[in-house]
Amino acid sequence: MSQLRERLNGLKKSGEMGVIAFIMSFLPDKKLCLECIKALEQGGCDVLELGMPFSDPLADGEMIEKFHHRCVEKGLSLKEGMEFAFEVRKTVSMPLVIFTYFNPVYNMGIPEFRQALEHTGAEAVIVPDLPLEELTRLTEYGLDVIPMIAPSSPQERIKEADKLNPAFIYCVSVRGTTGMQVLPEEEIKDYLLQVKSSTSSPLALGFGISSPEQVRVFKGYADAVVIGSLLASIIEEYEAKPELLPGEIERTIRNFKKAGLSF
Amino acid sequence: MYPDRKGYFGRYGGRFVPETLIPALEQMEKSYLELKEDEKFNVELNDILKNYVGRPSPLYFAERLTSFLGGAKIFLKREDLNHTGSHKINNTMGQALLAKYMGKERLIAETGAGQHGVATATAAAVLGLKCTVYMGAKDAERQRLNVFRMKMLGAEVVEVKKGSQTLKDASNEAFRDFIRSFECSHMVIGSVVGPHPYPMMVRDFQSVIGKEVKTQFKELTGKMPDYILACVGGGSNAMGIFYPFLDDAVKLIGVEAGGISLEPGKHCATLSSGKEGVLHGALSRVLQDEKGQISPTHSVSAGLDYPGVGPEHAFLKETGRVNYVNVSDKEALYAFHLLSRLEGIIPALESAHAVAYTLKIAPGLSEEECLVINLSGRGDKDVEQVAGLKEV
Ligand SMILES: Cc1ncc(COP(=O)(O)O)c(C=O)c1O
Repeated sequence: MSQLRERLNGLKKSGEMGVIAFIMSFLPDKKLCLECIKALEQGGCDVLELGMPFSDPLADGEMIEKFHHRCVEKGLSLKEGMEFAFEVRKTVSMPLVIFTYFNPVYNMGIPEFRQALEHTGAEAVIVPDLPLEELTRLTEYGLDVIPMIAPSSPQERIKEADKLNPAFIYCVSVRGTTGMQVLPEEEIKDYLLQVKSSTSSPLALGFGISSPEQVRVFKGYADAVVIGSLLASIIEEYEAKPELLPGEIERTIRNFKKAGLSF
Repeated sequence: MYPDRKGYFGRYGGRFVPETLIPALEQMEKSYLELKEDEKFNVELNDILKNYVGRPSPLYFAERLTSFLGGAKIFLKREDLNHTGSHKINNTMGQALLAKYMGKERLIAETGAGQHGVATATAAAVLGLKCTVYMGAKDAERQRLNVFRMKMLGAEVVEVKKGSQTLKDASNEAFRDFIRSFECSHMVIGSVVGPHPYPMMVRDFQSVIGKEVKTQFKELTGKMPDYILACVGGGSNAMGIFYPFLDDAVKLIGVEAGGISLEPGKHCATLSSGKEGVLHGALSRVLQDEKGQISPTHSVSAGLDYPGVGPEHAFLKETGRVNYVNVSDKEALYAFHLLSRLEGIIPALESAHAVAYTLKIAPGLSEEECLVINLSGRGDKDVEQVAGLKEV
């Protein structure tokens, strides 16, 4: 079994709430980005979701969109991102997932992308602009995909996602893009219970998760949370004080992890 | 019959959007397919098109242009005479009525030239719906008049200052709004682009143009036209006039914006220079760099300044049914002035592209041949911009 599956299944079994961190490649710069990723691991992060830049990131809110644009302006793209992922793989040992929009992948060619992915040691890919019907474009080449499910998804789509036998299912916690305020607590709980009733795959809750308190609230309903916009805003805030950035990242992850421990 | 059940025109089309939106698109498709056959809906829409939009729009024989060029007879399909000044209203009235039947309270639109924004704001006003229009800051600057019009019509106008600050980024913001609000809002996409069912739905609403041309041309001449030309941004006015003629022996020509030159970033000739890719929810041709990042574009015409194109056009190019060409900013501006002076019709800069290509081919054709240009809009919105250019 892949390291990724093992980690998620372990979390599911223990009842502990895991932490998946979304980090955009290269930012604020390559060196500091690697430092941040090391700090994530130090803080106890379970899975790294590494972002690849795209000029038109439709599923993302303002904070993460800005990061995409900063990378694209520097001429960085999927190819450079995958090379960076290879370095990440050599630096940390937590499971690695690639987050990318579809156009750069399609442009590279799916067999070529698969090869690049294997080379980096990343174990799965998340493509936010591919709905379930289109995931076969990747799975037919043997890629492991993480399907996304939304509060608007009816039961039969959750079952479709389950059929992929994914390492986990990404449950979007907002009606909207990343960085938005999550739905009311009870609504999220109902939604997660509904997803759970149709799949035995581990569940990760993401988009707009910004406080350890949310981890406490949803523990037992999901197996992990994804934090992205929060980390992006920390990176932005500490850019002028780079020496403090890794420490701040580590402290943040530690707080989330602590909130997720099972007692 | 295209598209197929999954929204594909051959290899092109589909739905490439976040999973969150899928149920909304499925609902929309279902409602649209039902209403398309619904008598009450059709009676209401046809009444609006006739008495509010002013359809049918005339088919006008441009005698002075014809004799100036000395070749084929040139006819203009006068979409510029529609209420709000362009073909865009055919689609926005259709979609707004659909939204109303679906119980939505609010319309969201993206706009480039502002014509689609104005047409959506108008539809919202007359049907009693709320309206938010996203417009790139660069476009809002060059089409200021339309910003005022939308506001007067009661719409909220959001100027988008990100990325290229044109239609592409306005579309991104409109999609984000739609992802947040689809339970009470309908996104009125302004061209034959976007995820299924939009390319099909917009084409159907616009195909009133081609249907009328068919009847009108027959009445005038007793036959079919030999050529039909239309400008292609996203491709809605072109699809609208081409679609009813796809099975007829009529040559169809789509004219894209060649901008300053065909170097990357200096044009919007997506079908000539774009590669297969995914932008704004559909697989089609897209102007992109070698890494798959969407390219910056340029056109003197805000309504054509877009790196994508409708999937059905990508398909029709591949099958060879439609010939796609492009003309430069300069050629379009020349045509803009020529049509104004010869016919007393100031065309939209978008439509001037179709006129410009006509100037190239009409003199080489015989006097028996007939050519119809889709004059998709009027140029009032462009007067300030054109007056500011040195060429005048
Ligand atoms: C008058 C006019 N014609 C054409 C276009 C281009 O759109 P499409 O290619 O969808 O017809 C626009 C867009 O704003 C327009 O305003």
